[in-house]
Amino acid sequence: MTSEPQNIVSRYVQRRALLLSLLLLALLSAITAALARTYHAREEDLVSEWSQKGNADLAAGKPTLAFEDFRNALSYGPDNPDVQLRLAEALLADGRYTEARSYLVNLWDRGPSSGEVNLDLAHVSMQTGELDQAIRYFRGAIFGSWGKEPVLLRRKIRLELCEFLLSHGRTDEAEGEISGLAADTPADNGALREENGLLFLRVGEPGKALAEFEAALQINPRQSQWLADAGRVAFEDGDYLKAETYFSKSDLENPSAEIHASLVLVRDVLGNDPYLAGLSDEEQTRRTWRDFGQGLEDLRKCASSTAGPPSGQLPSDLQQLNKEAQEMQRRVNLKSLGGSPELRNEAMQFVSRIEDAASRTCGPSASLDRALTIIEKRHERNNP
Amino acid sequence: MSDQDTRVEETQIPSPRAESASANATDSGLKWLSSRARSFTLSEGNLFLLLAIIIGMFSGMAVVCFRIAIEWVRLGLLGSALAPPPIRVLLVPAGAGLVVALLVQKFFPGARGSGVNQTKAAVYVFDGYVPFRTVIGKFLTCSLAIGSGQSLGPEDPSLQMGAGIASALGRHLKLSRDKLRLLAPVGAAAGLAAAFNAPISAVLFVIEEVIGTWSASALGAIVLAAVSSAVVMRSFLGGEPMFRVPAYTLAHPAELLAYAVLGVVSGILSLAFTKIIAYFRPKLRALPEWTHYLQPAAAGLLIGLIGLRFPQSMGTGYPYIDQALHSQFTWQILAILGFAKILTTSLSFVSGTPGGMFAPVLFIGAMIGGAVGGLEHHFFPQVSASVAPFALVGMGTFFAGFLRVPITSVFMVVETSGSYSIVLPVMISNTIAYLIARTYQDVALFDLLAKQDNLELPSMEEQREQIVLRVEDAMRKPDLPPLQASDTLARALEIAETSTEEVLLVRFPTGRWAGISIKDLPAMDSTHPKETQLREVLSTARLPILHPDQRLGDALRFIPGHALLPVVSRAGSRKLEGVLSLADILTAYQRTS
Repeated sequence: MTSEPQNIVSRYVQRRALLLSLLLLALLSAITAALARTYHAREEDLVSEWSQKGNADLAAGKPTLAFEDFRNALSYGPDNPDVQLRLAEALLADGRYTEARSYLVNLWDRGPSSGEVNLDLAHVSMQTGELDQAIRYFRGAIFGSWGKEPVLLRRKIRLELCEFLLSHGRTDEAEGEISGLAADTPADNGALREENGLLFLRVGEPGKALAEFEAALQINPRQSQWLADAGRVAFEDGDYLKAETYFSKSDLENPSAEIHASLVLVRDVLGNDPYLAGLSDEEQTRRTWRDFGQGLEDLRKCASSTAGPPSGQLPSDLQQLNKEAQEMQRRVNLKSLGGSPELRNEAMQFVSRIEDAASRTCGPSASLDRALTIIEKRHERNNP
Repeated sequence: MSDQDTRVEETQIPSPRAESASANATDSGLKWLSSRARSFTLSEGNLFLLLAIIIGMFSGMAVVCFRIAIEWVRLGLLGSALAPPPIRVLLVPAGAGLVVALLVQKFFPGARGSGVNQTKAAVYVFDGYVPFRTVIGKFLTCSLAIGSGQSLGPEDPSLQMGAGIASALGRHLKLSRDKLRLLAPVGAAAGLAAAFNAPISAVLFVIEEVIGTWSASALGAIVLAAVSSAVVMRSFLGGEPMFRVPAYTLAHPAELLAYAVLGVVSGILSLAFTKIIAYFRPKLRALPEWTHYLQPAAAGLLIGLIGLRFPQSMGTGYPYIDQALHSQFTWQILAILGFAKILTTSLSFVSGTPGGMFAPVLFIGAMIGGAVGGLEHHFFPQVSASVAPFALVGMGTFFAGFLRVPITSVFMVVETSGSYSIVLPVMISNTIAYLIARTYQDVALFDLLAKQDNLELPSMEEQREQIVLRVEDAMRKPDLPPLQASDTLARALEIAETSTEEVLLVRFPTGRWAGISIKDLPAMDSTHPKETQLREVLSTARLPILHPDQRLGDALRFIPGHALLPVVSRAGSRKLEGVLSLADILTAYQRTS
């Protein structure tokens, strides 16, 4: 049992030791803080050094080396999302999709709105054939956050998504994306409008494509390529007057054989199409009679060029058409055509068959012949 | 406190002991000291808790410095690349091994080993004494060994360093022997919490492996120390979980079967790993003394040779665990790395190189887990979604199988990964691995190592599994019903004639119990009328009562002075369940032994 004086001394010694411990703690704390700061600075340097090396290797097309570099960087900055992303991209470039996905999914968990991570995940999913997931990530990338030039990047990704959808035959979804793209396109950027128009064409939407081309032409009405594209779309859409306008302007701005040929073709159509809206019955009859005559002439020319020695035999389809031509000639004249729209249709159908057979047997046809084919095909399409 | 004050204290402290000092001077000095001491008085309990926080802070900072030291050594000796240049891989572990061996043999013999058993020895053998020299030795030798690529980890040394710091502080504060003994586990928990960045696991490990019981006297201090050390560590090195784990969801209920398979594989491999260490460690220690200088170097050379092909198997391996968690290895590579690590860790450990087993065990577990997961994913892709959760579960499973700490292993996985959804697979897998290891290896690794070191430390696993005898195991039915307080002395005399007991139990309506010695009855009969009720005779007498579920050891405390005690129901103390005598207790103990 200790005496009171001893107790007091022991307690005093204890408290003095406690105070000394606290002082020592403060000192050790300062030393530890200094050490930790130095160490963290060194770590940051190492992350930076290895990342730079990795970027250089990746840019030089050495993804395996880049992967090792980024892995080294990551060992000093395990929570550095930039390094993680670059590491994943190196893996992606190296074709190691499963490994890349693992890092990217981790990054996505921490920041699901990152545009870059979503885009990389979309690329991984594309490579592993997971279409729906790829589309989901593409959309995540489109609506995600981007540091620099977000508008341009989002457009670029949307274009990539459109290509991806088109390549997998998902035209409806692609059309939706293109419409979104068109809605987000700045009104004063003709080149992008033009790009939208071309995409609309690819999903079979010539009307929407033409609207985009025309919007582009409002910004620069003398851009010959845009004029030509607008002409082509208008032509495909059956708007021959518009097509003629655009082709002629394009030909004027930047003459070329191709545009000139298109212009001639559209003018041939405009000049010979008996189905054009607003034509009088008489004009329709006259045009049909002229087209019928042209068809018979083409048949004759093709038959004579084909039926040479030694056999003197015509191909069977031409023989058949010859036979039918004789029969048609007996029935078709200006008077009979004028009184019967059905006969006009029959005559134009016969002309179309002649042009098809002639181009098959005797090679590429002249502009007028192509015009005749187009006229009838379009008529059939519009009146099934 | 000013310098002047300090000087005064230094001159006054010895004054009470000075026999030559005058009585007046002594009285005035004592009064002064007494007033100073009273001004900031702390009870011993509170002082202990405050000390726990201080220990936690010291340990946390020591561990921060330790981890930084390991990294500096690694950067200096092996370079900053994860795959160092071959020449360094070959020579550095061997060269560092020589230096480490010299330091251990000549200057810091206490630094040998992992640190867990040394801490247990401090608690159970040396009254909580851990020399501070051992802390310094552990810091230096482990930094060098682990930083140079020896396949060991910093956690167990941190545990011992924490215990050493606590012990030094306790000695400095002149704490009682009991408190000193308690301080070592407090420091151990602090060291481990900082090393793992996982205070819950640290507390559980210390309870599960070092002190063995949920001692209320130590628990508060252990928790405080672990938390404060983890806070200090996080403030210096960041609070991110040790491993970044991809999100986990159960892909298919059958996936749980896959985790069961992982439990079997991990259990078998952890068993093999234990056997390898248990076999080779004593063999190498039995070699001539001079070879002990060379063993870590030789181990280092072999590790370097393995490291030329698999640099991942060197050092702690934490960056590679992260890669395994991100599915960066094929299952074949994961399996090879797991086996390579078993080899390199065995070499490092049995050669006597100081360093811990936790990190290598986690590495091996992650690789084996990943390999099993990868293999299962290869054959049953619909069952398991990813390799990463298998790697994570594998860590806990191997930990449970090898170190035989099933509860810690579950919490460790959750805490180090921050992923709670993984608990169910971890529990399934861990239980299987633990049972396999327990069935085929009677003695747990740390107990085995202690035995090899001629230390008879208590086995916590055995303690947990010891049969606890309870009162119900020893009590017997009374030969006769008890007497009531309203019964007369005549009735008691009548009963005494047929009873085989030495004492008759008397029940009062209030639930109180008393006893009448049969030997004393004739004397009572002579002094009281026969019609006297027993309540009058026994007005103040009271017997302690027991309950059937009480520990038999606790019951022993009540037996002295009583030939027979009533065992009553907890639903009402008037209901007699049985009786217990000292002879009954001894018989029960004899039966079980």
